[in-house]
Amino acid sequence: MSTVSRRRTRGIGVFMALLGLVTALGFGLASGSAARSSLTFNPVDLSASAPLHLGTLTLPTAIANLVLGLAMAALGVELLVRVPRRGVMARFGAVALLFFLALLLWAVRTTGPAPINFVNVTAVLVGASALTMVLIFGSLSGVLCERAGVVNIAIEGQFIGGAFIGSMVASTTHDFFFAAVAGGAVGGLLGLVLAFLSLRYLSDQIIVGVVLVTLLSGLSSYLNLQVLTPFPQYNTGNLAPNLPIPLLTKIPVLGPVLFDQSGFFYLMIVLVAAVSYGLFQTRWGLRVRAVGEHPQAAATVGIKVIGVRYANVILGGVVAGLGGVAFMATQGQFQPGYTSGLGYIALAALIFGRWRPSGAVVASIVFGLSLYLSYNLQTFQVPVSTEVLGMVPYLITIAVVSGLIGRVRPPAADGVPYQRD
Amino acid sequence: MRLELRGITKRFGTLTANDHIDLTVEPGQIHCVLGENGAGKSTLMNVVFGLLHPDDGEILIDGVPQRFANSGDAVRRGIGMVHQHFMLVPVFTVAENVVLGFEPTSRLGRLDRARARQEIRHTSQQFNLEVDPDAIVENLPVGLQQRVEILKALNHDAELLILDEPTAVLTPQEIDALMAIMRSLAASGKSILFISHKLKEVRAISDVVTVIRQGRVVDQVPPTTGESTLASLMVGRDVTLTVSKEAAAPGAPVLELDDVVVRDDRGLAAVDHVSLRVHAGEILALAGVQGNGQTELVEAIVGMRPVESGRITLGGQDVTGATPRSVLDSGLGHIPEDRHRYGLVLSLSVADNLVLNAPRRAPFAHRGTRNLAAVRGNAESLVSRFDIRTTSVQAPLSSLSGGNQQKVIVARELSRPLQVLVASQPTRGLDVGSIEYVHRQIVEQRNEGLAVLIVSSELDEVMALGDRIAVMHAGQITGVVDPSTSRERIGLLMAGATGDGHE
Repeated sequence: MSTVSRRRTRGIGVFMALLGLVTALGFGLASGSAARSSLTFNPVDLSASAPLHLGTLTLPTAIANLVLGLAMAALGVELLVRVPRRGVMARFGAVALLFFLALLLWAVRTTGPAPINFVNVTAVLVGASALTMVLIFGSLSGVLCERAGVVNIAIEGQFIGGAFIGSMVASTTHDFFFAAVAGGAVGGLLGLVLAFLSLRYLSDQIIVGVVLVTLLSGLSSYLNLQVLTPFPQYNTGNLAPNLPIPLLTKIPVLGPVLFDQSGFFYLMIVLVAAVSYGLFQTRWGLRVRAVGEHPQAAATVGIKVIGVRYANVILGGVVAGLGGVAFMATQGQFQPGYTSGLGYIALAALIFGRWRPSGAVVASIVFGLSLYLSYNLQTFQVPVSTEVLGMVPYLITIAVVSGLIGRVRPPAADGVPYQRD
Repeated sequence: MRLELRGITKRFGTLTANDHIDLTVEPGQIHCVLGENGAGKSTLMNVVFGLLHPDDGEILIDGVPQRFANSGDAVRRGIGMVHQHFMLVPVFTVAENVVLGFEPTSRLGRLDRARARQEIRHTSQQFNLEVDPDAIVENLPVGLQQRVEILKALNHDAELLILDEPTAVLTPQEIDALMAIMRSLAASGKSILFISHKLKEVRAISDVVTVIRQGRVVDQVPPTTGESTLASLMVGRDVTLTVSKEAAAPGAPVLELDDVVVRDDRGLAAVDHVSLRVHAGEILALAGVQGNGQTELVEAIVGMRPVESGRITLGGQDVTGATPRSVLDSGLGHIPEDRHRYGLVLSLSVADNLVLNAPRRAPFAHRGTRNLAAVRGNAESLVSRFDIRTTSVQAPLSSLSGGNQQKVIVARELSRPLQVLVASQPTRGLDVGSIEYVHRQIVEQRNEGLAVLIVSSELDEVMALGDRIAVMHAGQITGVVDPSTSRERIGLLMAGATGDGHE
C-alpha cells in the first residue's frame, strides 16, 4: 500500500476519533444525568408484511451517547494504529451511522417522567433509503462514465429528464415498467449527446455536462407549464407499489428497510452487484478501466477507445435516467426543480467512494441519511440549523477532494479527451 | 518473420515524414534504424505497427502484402512494439497489462486470472524474463516496466519486435540487461527493429544499420562502421563527438552544500547528508542511476523543494530555503530536467519563453506593462546568437524541435550574468548535432569562469564534460573522482560501493 493511501487512512482515523470524542462530550456528558431518550422500531402501517413487534427502548442519554462516542473513537483509533488495507470506507460508514444515532438520541432527550418524544428508527431508515437509492443510481452512472474516462456532470439533468418522462409514462400507462424504460431511454439519449459532443468534437466535458443540466432544468420547467399544468392527467402522481419479499420483511428494522421496497430498489441492488462484478472481474471491466486510465495503451492492443467510451457514457445515462424515474416514484409527481442537486451529491458520493461501486454505496448511505435528517430534523425541534446538516455531504466531499483527509485518485484519463493521432 | 517495407510514404499536411522508405528485416536479425530526432523513425514504426496508415507503399510479411486497420491487426500478424513511453496501465498488475486486449476468460466474460498468470510464467521462463505477475506496474522500476512491455509483445506471439528508443530511460546496467535480452530473442529467431540515435548502442547490438535523415533512407551500413561516419550520415555533415576542453582552472568555491537533507514526495530522505562544492571555472558532474536523489538535490538548490536540514550557499550568500526567484536573482542559471514540465511554456511564443525568468523586470517591462519591443529585440538577438531554428520569434514554442526547444532554455539561462549554472540532463532526447552544441556552450561558460553543476545519468556525458565527477547513490555521495577514473570504478560507485574519493 502506498504511503499516500496510508496517510489518507490515518487521516480518516483521526477524523473519526475526534468526531467520537465530540459526540461523547457534546451529545453525551453535556445532556445531564436526568435525560432519557426513547427509540421505537415499528413502522407506522401495520399491514400483513409488518415486521415482528419490538417494544420501545428508553436509554439514559448521557450514558448511551458516551458509549456511542467512545465506540466511534475506538474505530478511529483502530484505523490509526492498524492502518488496514480493506474496509476503511465501511468503518467510516459505521461511524457516520453511530454519529447520526447519537444526534437523534440527543435531539429527542427528555427529562420529564414520560417520554413525549421518540425516534422511530425504522421510519428514519426507510425515509433515508429512498434518497440513498437515488444517490446510488447517480453515483453508479458516474462510475460507469468516469471509469471509462468521461466526466458525467449531467447526472442531475438525466435525473430531471428521467423523472419528467417517467411521470408522464407512469401516469398514462399506470405501469412503472414502461416508465422505467422511457426514463432510461431519455437518460441514455442525454448520455449520447454528452458522448457525441465530448468524443466527436472534443468539447469540454464539464461544460457540456453543465449545459445539459441547465437545458433540462429549463426545458422541464417550460414543459411543466405548457403540458403538465394544463393536462394534469399526465402528471397524476403515482407512487411505485412496494413489492414485499415474504418472510424477510418480518425481520425487525431491516425487513422494512431492505425487503419492503419498490422494484426500483431491488433493481438498484442488482445494478450495484452487476457493475461491481463487471468492472473488476470481467474482460469488459478490464478494458473499460484501461480506457479510463491509459487510452493509448488500450488502443495499441486493438481496443476501440472511442467505442468503449460511447457505450459507457450511454449506459451511464440509462442508469441515471432510471434514477430519475426511481426518484419520481418515491415522490409521486413531477415538480420542476425537485431533484434539488441530488445529481451533484451523487457525484460527490462517487468521489468519496473512490470511483468504486461499493464505496459509492457506503457514501450514498451516509449522504442519504444526512440529507433525510436535514429535511426532517425540524420535527424533533433541534436547535441545529437544518441547512448545516444539509451541507454535510458537500463538506465531506470538499475535505476529500482537497486532500484534507488524504488524497483520492481518479482514473488517470478521467475527463481527458482522446484523439487518434 | 521477414518484414519488408516497400516505398513507405507518410505525409502530414505539407510535411513528408517518410519518403519512399525501403527496408527489410530478416528473421533473427537485429535491424537498427538510426536517425536524429525528427528524422521520421517513430512515424515509420507507427506505420509498421498499424497506428498510422501509409499514404503510399506496402508492408509485406513473409512476402504477403498486409493492410493494418489498427494496431490490433499488426499484433495479430505477429508484430509487437515496445514504445518509448510505455503503453502500460500504471495501476494494473503485470498480468492485467500483459493480457489486456487478449484476455483469457471463463464463463460470462469472467477474467481467468489464474490462466493469465500461468501464461505469463510460461512466457517469462521461455525467454528468461523474470517478473512477478501480481506486482502493480507503477511500483516497478523502469527497467522492469520495459521488461513487462517486452513480455506483453511476446505473450501475443510477436515474431517481430519494434523497440522505440528503448535505452532512453534506462541505467547503464539496465541497458546491458536489455541488450542481453535482445540477443537471446534474436537467437531464438525473433526479428528486432531497433530505433535509436545513440551510436555506441547501435554499433554494439545491431546486425544491420539503416540510417534515415529527413524521412529518407540515406544508407544501409554494417555495424562495424565508425562512429564518426555514422554520425555524419545521420546529421548530414561532419560532427565532433568528443568535447574538446582544456584543463580547468578552478577558482574559489561558488556553490556550497553542507550536510544537506531533502525529502522526496513520499517523505523519505532522498538526499541524505550531502556536501558538495562547485568552484568557479570548473564543471562538477553529478553521476548516478536515475532516482537516487539527483532530482531532489537540484530542486532543493533551485528552491523548488524545502531543505530539511543543512545549508546551501551561493557566492557566500545563504540561499537555503530561498524562493526560486531569489535563487535565480542571486545568479543561478537552471536548465531543468524535464523541459516540458519546467522551464518552458509550450503554448507561448519563442520570444516570451526567452524572457520567462524576467518577464516583469526592465527592460522587458516597465511599471507593470510589458515592453514588447524589448522582448522581441531580445528574442531576435538570442535566436541568431544561439542558432535557434524557428520560423519566427512569435511562433509557439511547441512548433520547434526538441533540440531547438532546449536551445531556447540554454539561450535564456546563459544570456544574463551568472555565478553558477545547474544543468540537469541537459542533452536528454537531443540529437547528435544539438548535443555537440549544448556541450560546447557549457564548456565555454566554464572557461569564462562560471561554476557548473551537471547532473546526468549518461555516463559518456559525465566523463566527457566533468572536471570532477561526484557519484550519487541512494541519496548519498559515494565518491568524488577524477574523469580519468575507469568506467568500471564509476559503475561500482553508482551501484553503491563507497569510494575512497577525495574531498
